Amino acid sequence: MSLRREIESLEKEANELIKNADSIESLSSIKVKFLGKKGKLKSILKSLGKLSPEERKEIGQLANKVKEEIENLLRKKEQFFREKAIQEELKKDRVDITLPPSWIEVGSAHPVVSTLVEISQLFISMGFSVAEGPEVEKEEYNFDMLNIPKDHPARDMQDTFFLNNGMVLRTHTSPVQIRTMLKQKPPIAVIAPGRVYRKDADPTHSPMFHQIEGLLVDENITFRDLKGTLKIFLEGIFGKDIGIRFRPSYFPFTEPSAEVDISCTVCGGTGCRVCKDTGWLEILGCGMVDPNVFEAVGIDPEKYTGFAFGLGIERIAMLKYKINDIRLLFENDMRFNHQFKGIR
Amino acid sequence: MKVPYSWIKEFVNIDAPVEEVVKKLNETGIEAVSYTFGKKIENTTIVKILSVKKHPEKDRLFLCEVTDGVRKYQVITAAHNVFKGAKVALAKEGAKIGEIVIKPVKFGSFVSEGMFLSLEEMGVVEKAEGVFIFPEEVKEGEDPNRLLGLGEEQIIEIEITPNRGDALSVRGLSREIAAIFGLKRKEKLPVVSIAQEEVPEIKFLTDKVYRYRGIVIKGVSIKPSPFDIQLKLIKSGQNPINNVVDVTNYILLQEGQPLHAFDLDKIEGDISIRLAKKGEKITTLDGEEKELTPEDIVISDDRKAVAIAGIIGGENTKVDQNTKNILLEAAVFDHISVRKTSKRLSISTESSYRFERGVDIENLPNAQDKAVELIQKTAGGKAVGEKDIYPHPYTPKKIKLREKTTIRILGFEVKKEQAKELLNRLEIPTEVVEEGTVSEIPAFRAFDLEREIDLVEEVGRLSGLNQVSETYPKIPTQSFRKSDEFLFELRTRDFFRDNGFDETVSYTFVDEDIYTILQIPVPSIKITNYLLKTQSIIRDNLVVSLLKTLQHNLRFQNKNLKIFEISSAFFDSYEEIRLGILATGSFIEGFSYTKGDKTFSTEEKWDFLKIKGVIFSYLRSLGMQDVELKEINLPYLNPYQSAEIMIDNQSVGYFGKLHPEKAAKLKIPKDTYVGELKLRYVSRELEENPLDKEGYLFNLYKKKENPVFKELPKFPSVKRDLAFEVDESLQVDKLLKTIKNSSKYVDEVRLFDVYHMGNSKKSVAVSVDFRAEDRSLSDDEVNSIVEEVVKKLQKQFKGLKLRT
Ligand SMILES: [Zn+2]
Repeated sequence: MSLRREIESLEKEANELIKNADSIESLSSIKVKFLGKKGKLKSILKSLGKLSPEERKEIGQLANKVKEEIENLLRKKEQFFREKAIQEELKKDRVDITLPPSWIEVGSAHPVVSTLVEISQLFISMGFSVAEGPEVEKEEYNFDMLNIPKDHPARDMQDTFFLNNGMVLRTHTSPVQIRTMLKQKPPIAVIAPGRVYRKDADPTHSPMFHQIEGLLVDENITFRDLKGTLKIFLEGIFGKDIGIRFRPSYFPFTEPSAEVDISCTVCGGTGCRVCKDTGWLEILGCGMVDPNVFEAVGIDPEKYTGFAFGLGIERIAMLKYKINDIRLLFENDMRFNHQFKGIR
Repeated sequence: MKVPYSWIKEFVNIDAPVEEVVKKLNETGIEAVSYTFGKKIENTTIVKILSVKKHPEKDRLFLCEVTDGVRKYQVITAAHNVFKGAKVALAKEGAKIGEIVIKPVKFGSFVSEGMFLSLEEMGVVEKAEGVFIFPEEVKEGEDPNRLLGLGEEQIIEIEITPNRGDALSVRGLSREIAAIFGLKRKEKLPVVSIAQEEVPEIKFLTDKVYRYRGIVIKGVSIKPSPFDIQLKLIKSGQNPINNVVDVTNYILLQEGQPLHAFDLDKIEGDISIRLAKKGEKITTLDGEEKELTPEDIVISDDRKAVAIAGIIGGENTKVDQNTKNILLEAAVFDHISVRKTSKRLSISTESSYRFERGVDIENLPNAQDKAVELIQKTAGGKAVGEKDIYPHPYTPKKIKLREKTTIRILGFEVKKEQAKELLNRLEIPTEVVEEGTVSEIPAFRAFDLEREIDLVEEVGRLSGLNQVSETYPKIPTQSFRKSDEFLFELRTRDFFRDNGFDETVSYTFVDEDIYTILQIPVPSIKITNYLLKTQSIIRDNLVVSLLKTLQHNLRFQNKNLKIFEISSAFFDSYEEIRLGILATGSFIEGFSYTKGDKTFSTEEKWDFLKIKGVIFSYLRSLGMQDVELKEINLPYLNPYQSAEIMIDNQSVGYFGKLHPEKAAKLKIPKDTYVGELKLRYVSRELEENPLDKEGYLFNLYKKKENPVFKELPKFPSVKRDLAFEVDESLQVDKLLKTIKNSSKYVDEVRLFDVYHMGNSKKSVAVSVDFRAEDRSLSDDEVNSIVEEVVKKLQKQFKGLKLRT
């Protein structure tokens, strides 16, 4: 057999063996067998000396080519085995991606706090600042300075919880108006979100609820400005298409006063149980700051005018989330609260 | 107040549909609704009862023979108020009452051919006792629907704001409606002549009565009122009683002037208006005995109080069947006194309701004369004497309304001529002057219209506040203050929610029993007029509420709870905004998992260090680095798993595991952790500055300085693991801090193992990074630094050994 033939059959044999190899170990024995120091190719090349220079060159080239080819095949096969091993290793750790996460699931927001924050931020972005006052309040701030004298029927508008220390649980956030105006000279643009209390309990009234008070005092503030401000607010919360109605009303600390209704968000204004078939929902009270209030806090009513408004948060939250009983809001039954994950 | 629209029409020529009237009332400041009076029932007729017999077989039933003028019927009824000669409405065969169709029914061996109707069946009242007896003048065979106006008459129901007492009458409401529609109100003046034969003696012994007019009417006969008067009362939601009493109620409704009729023969001596004596008692018309105080005004004769002024009459001088002579009172009392007495005695009457809101003192004689006229017409008798005491007659206040004020407040112009027109429509005499208008306020608006601004409101509401277009104010930039407090709370809220806690909002008032169980003092602030005793204590911490929430949720098998609340805790002179947290059960709810030889659980339970981790992470999020924990002894916490949180040597809160005994008493899981952080101080005194107070996270946060950038290290650190044997009682944190400060080359110290060895010893293993700022440390250098550190530690902690 000529050397060429020998090399060619060697190549064939190697090809066959590599193809059938079943592990990375068998590949290394193939490598030794064909390409090692005592391997078959080496032993063939030992007999090169017997050949003519031309033949030597030719066979030499052929041998090199075969060597490279075998090496190449070995490398490819080895790569194949490595990848297969990795795949098998990965497969062992395969995870059912649908298993529940091991997580700290985000907590739920309270719908009332959430609504309170949303409305507050709306007013903050309009340029109002947040003011605050205590919930245990002096009668003077809660009533007298707001032009609600003792023994006036207007006190009946708000059934008050009295405390053993001679103070009251504030019945509205309006005393914050007084506190703010006593501390700060106009211009004033504040809102006061917080808890308020009235002696009242049924599916639509809770002895504790939340309000946001708004107050803007400056020169040249008018009732029409009040309308504009509340329009922006109500459209911001309920959408551009909401109907708004101002009804003259009475609050001791504003004059003129108005109650503001929005078109019923449940029936759209055609009449339903929620709006008692009127098509309207009472949403807030407002008015121009009464001169008596200005005088009580030492602001000149001939120089300054201002508007104030107060709105109940629960009402808005209940409309927004279609909650039908106010008491659910303060029971903290997690079957209720968990429905409000994902709201801010 | 309920008013039949037809009654209004007696005072205003108005033909607008009732819906429009109601709409306009709402638009101008009086809340109003309208509804149809009663339900029309077909196949009914007025019958006269010819005889009443007890049903021979059935207890409590009566057998009546009646006639409609054409034929006789037999009717069986359970009503006790039927009598021979009574005129009643009979529902005959085929009449439909609600879902029931009337047909002949047998009761025992007798057939009932129909059913007598009460006001309840006719849809007039919610609940009626007995059948409705029509007045004698009604003819049998007439149609009760037509007589009563069932399903026809429109009722306007209004609710006034406290300033609008003037609208609390047919007359007042008509005045308002006339003004809204630009119509003229009409009035029929009474025609009476009062002889001055028997002038009553009346004395004022207090200045709390502003006017008192007494009229003696002799020779009345008490009987039911004529039908039209009864009907108006019924439509207005009142019960007819007898002709004299009905007239007083009728005039009160029509004119807004409360009246009272005394039986003159029961009055002993003269009338005086005085303050009650301390402890004086009076039995009122409703049969209840009331104890009075010198705060109360009474009408009195020479021996006794005969009425609580402006509120209710006395039993002792009540008009009854036998009354022949009456004293008819019309008065105006001090509204504050009436209100105080009414509140204290919890008696609210049509009369007190009106006095509290102001009664038209000038209309008093007119109203009372109308009553005299009606009494003489319906009860006979003759007015024989009158006395009117009115020490300070009303003088109208003049109020100027400047055009510029109107525009300054409302933002739109109301010309003075227009203002005059609007105010005159309200029957407020008004003249144009240079700056605007001047009005003379009539007595019926004296309580409400006292200042210029009150007139601005009047012209505003009549011009239509709803119609005017809006403008947008320029919110003044110089009023702007950063709302840091608000944002701080938001940020706290976000942190805890993002870390898995559910937000709760609970009542500020709590039950005393939780304090007893936790063995902590009951807070001092309490509601005196609470709705429920269990909601009467104003809480001084949030944990009491969080524990209640846990109890509530355990009822629904919810054992894993992570909740927080941000709200106030209350103290004698201030309030604190606090954060309260509660955690129990699983930190991470999970499941166990096995594959091959690997088993693990994804569930993690809460423990002390996890709660500490949440709190510290929150504090870190605020930039608080140096937080220390101190042991704390709270009766409701486990003393070995609880801590006070200190920042800058100020206590800002605490947390820990609930005391097992308290947990057992509360029937809640043992592994319940609670904590509170004091966020902010809220002052009740204006002068106090909350930012001056110590121990509040917000204040510490505000004072915190910004981090200052340090150059990044240029040379690598060398890491060594060291294990120390120390006394079991040594706090690990103390050891770590000491190591950290033991050499300038110690860069970082990390704990990786704590091993309790027994013999009151433990092994604490740490990994320490050594680093020099100016070079790489060699092994030898590090060895000698370690040696030095160990020496220092041994000096400070007796018995510390380096383990090798
Ligand atoms: Zn609706």
